[in-house]
Amino acid sequence: MNTPTLAVTDLSRRFGSGPTEVLAVRNVSLAVAPGEVVLIMGPSGSGKTTLLLMLGALLRPSGGEIRLDGEVLTNRPERELPAIRLRRFGFIFQDFNLLSALSAIENVALVGVMGGMSSKEAKARATDLLTQFGLLERLRFRPELLSGGEKQRVAIARALVNDPTFILADEPTANLDAKNGRELMRLLRSIAKEQGRSIVIVSHDERIRDIADRVLWLEDGSLKEMTALSVDPVCAMRVEQEKALISIWDGEPFTFCSKGCRDEFLQAPYRFFPDTAAGGRHAAALRDAVRMETAVGAV
Amino acid sequence: MFALARNNLFRSRMKALMAIGGVALAMMLVLSLDAILAGLENRIGAFVERAGADVWVAQSGVRNMHMASSAVPRGLVDQVRQVPGVAEATPIRYLTNVVRSGDQDYIATVIGLPVGATMGLPNALVPGGTMPKSGQVVIDGAVGKAGANVGDGVRILGSTFEISGRSEGLASSLSSLAFIPLSDLDRMLGNDRVVSYVLVRAAPGVSAESLSAAIETRVNGVTASTRTQFAGEERRVVRDMSTEIAVIMNLAGLLIGFAVMALSIYTATASRLPEYGVLKAVGASTRRLAGVVVTQAALTVVVGLVLGLIAAYATALIAPHLDPLFDLEITFASVVKVSLVSFAVAALAAIAPIIQIAGLDPAVVFRRRIA
Repeated sequence: MNTPTLAVTDLSRRFGSGPTEVLAVRNVSLAVAPGEVVLIMGPSGSGKTTLLLMLGALLRPSGGEIRLDGEVLTNRPERELPAIRLRRFGFIFQDFNLLSALSAIENVALVGVMGGMSSKEAKARATDLLTQFGLLERLRFRPELLSGGEKQRVAIARALVNDPTFILADEPTANLDAKNGRELMRLLRSIAKEQGRSIVIVSHDERIRDIADRVLWLEDGSLKEMTALSVDPVCAMRVEQEKALISIWDGEPFTFCSKGCRDEFLQAPYRFFPDTAAGGRHAAALRDAVRMETAVGAV
Repeated sequence: MFALARNNLFRSRMKALMAIGGVALAMMLVLSLDAILAGLENRIGAFVERAGADVWVAQSGVRNMHMASSAVPRGLVDQVRQVPGVAEATPIRYLTNVVRSGDQDYIATVIGLPVGATMGLPNALVPGGTMPKSGQVVIDGAVGKAGANVGDGVRILGSTFEISGRSEGLASSLSSLAFIPLSDLDRMLGNDRVVSYVLVRAAPGVSAESLSAAIETRVNGVTASTRTQFAGEERRVVRDMSTEIAVIMNLAGLLIGFAVMALSIYTATASRLPEYGVLKAVGASTRRLAGVVVTQAALTVVVGLVLGLIAAYATALIAPHLDPLFDLEITFASVVKVSLVSFAVAALAAIAPIIQIAGLDPAVVFRRRIA
């Protein structure tokens, strides 16, 4: 791996103290290479937002270290963080978060001006980015006149205007339809691969797995590689294979988060696979059995 | 950031109209009040300025007309005439009373003029009028405005006078003027031993200052003031009388302006707080965002002030047509004062929103719907 754009070591965050203390993120280590797209998934309450805020220099960790382009951020004084966020991070939000009083070009250029560009330079850069993203005809449109997909492309242009090396995206497809979601994913991937920017996406959207170089699972504040996890067919939770309960059905192994899920599965396994050949066979047998029981009952 | 401040202000036209309109209205009120007082001061001094006298001689210690009483023994008039440098001296007598026209009373300065007087005369007689003879009066101000015409009768101190003419440009909204023969005023007051003032014209080449000093030196028991001093004192009295009212009204106007501005800026900021949070999250410093709020407040003031000025000037232009006694004079000093106070008010109005922004945690923008 090249020198990572983002390197996180033993990152932790506690909230509260004493008996009410909560460890939202525990000893997370992560390295994101230039041009790499990393997807972080996890159930609600797993610590995704806390991790996201720390990665974005919006929340100080209780322990551990974050390096951006080799430079330690976690020891920088609070007053220096806004400038770092402005010039070296790009943020993409779930709700687009465009300023309603400004047009598309003004939304993008404003962040450029804040980053030190002259108004003219910022407008030229904003025009260039928005044109690349197919929004040339929408430069003067206010957010209310843009579709969800267009808003998110404006938001991406805003994230890129100061040429950051690292982009942090929070549920970027959550408010987009399938078509716009796919387009956005393609766009993010091309930004990573063609421009060498590192992207960390926090999302529940399974579709994003298609463009991610790596998928990480965050649960109880800890990160796990998705490749080492499998899905419980009953509750759909992702479970570590090493610690999971395993049963064989129809010649295949299945993993379970708990004994309850395994027992429920084993009572009627075909219910969980209606579309497979084995599941279909068993479902047909079950329907026949039910019809027979119903007929007997009627007699 | 200027674009953001501008667009935040004008994004909702109705809100912008209310904020700027409120500020403009408050500024117009303050400017108009100042203009009314300035106009009144001018009007109050108009008779003194236009009486034609270089020096006003009054009872010792008296330096103005308004709210003052002066009694100069008539024998001193000749002493004044004999002071070197005096070209001409005209005694006048005056008192403040009411002029009754029909069933209406009008506060008026009644001025008694000697026969053949060349100073202290009515300013500009409306065509068709003549100087008053015994039993006649020339009126200036509200009486004439109320519809009294040449040939009509008015009552002054219980006697009836026939209007022989009307003049313009001397009365104020506070008081009218009525010019009658000195002998009639003496008769009504029951004596001819005193006059109120001696109006003195200086000989060519003699300055008013040196002449007034010479009169005070040579004539005992009088105070001599140059026209400029006398008119200045006249205005000062009005100013002193109206200062408290002016301060209260100015404060009221500015408080209205402050309230409107503070409320509009506060609500404009509060309604966009999540957006300020986004800007903080992407890296805007609190100082920069405070600049947006201050710029927005300053814009509100500048536009409000310009509109307020236009409205005040329009009022000043229209008012004399509606009421000739009503003069509004917008002074440069008043505009500067109102502008400075307005910007101070804008700065104050921006404090609460800035505190709000300073306390805003940028982390809250994650997963919060805005646009």
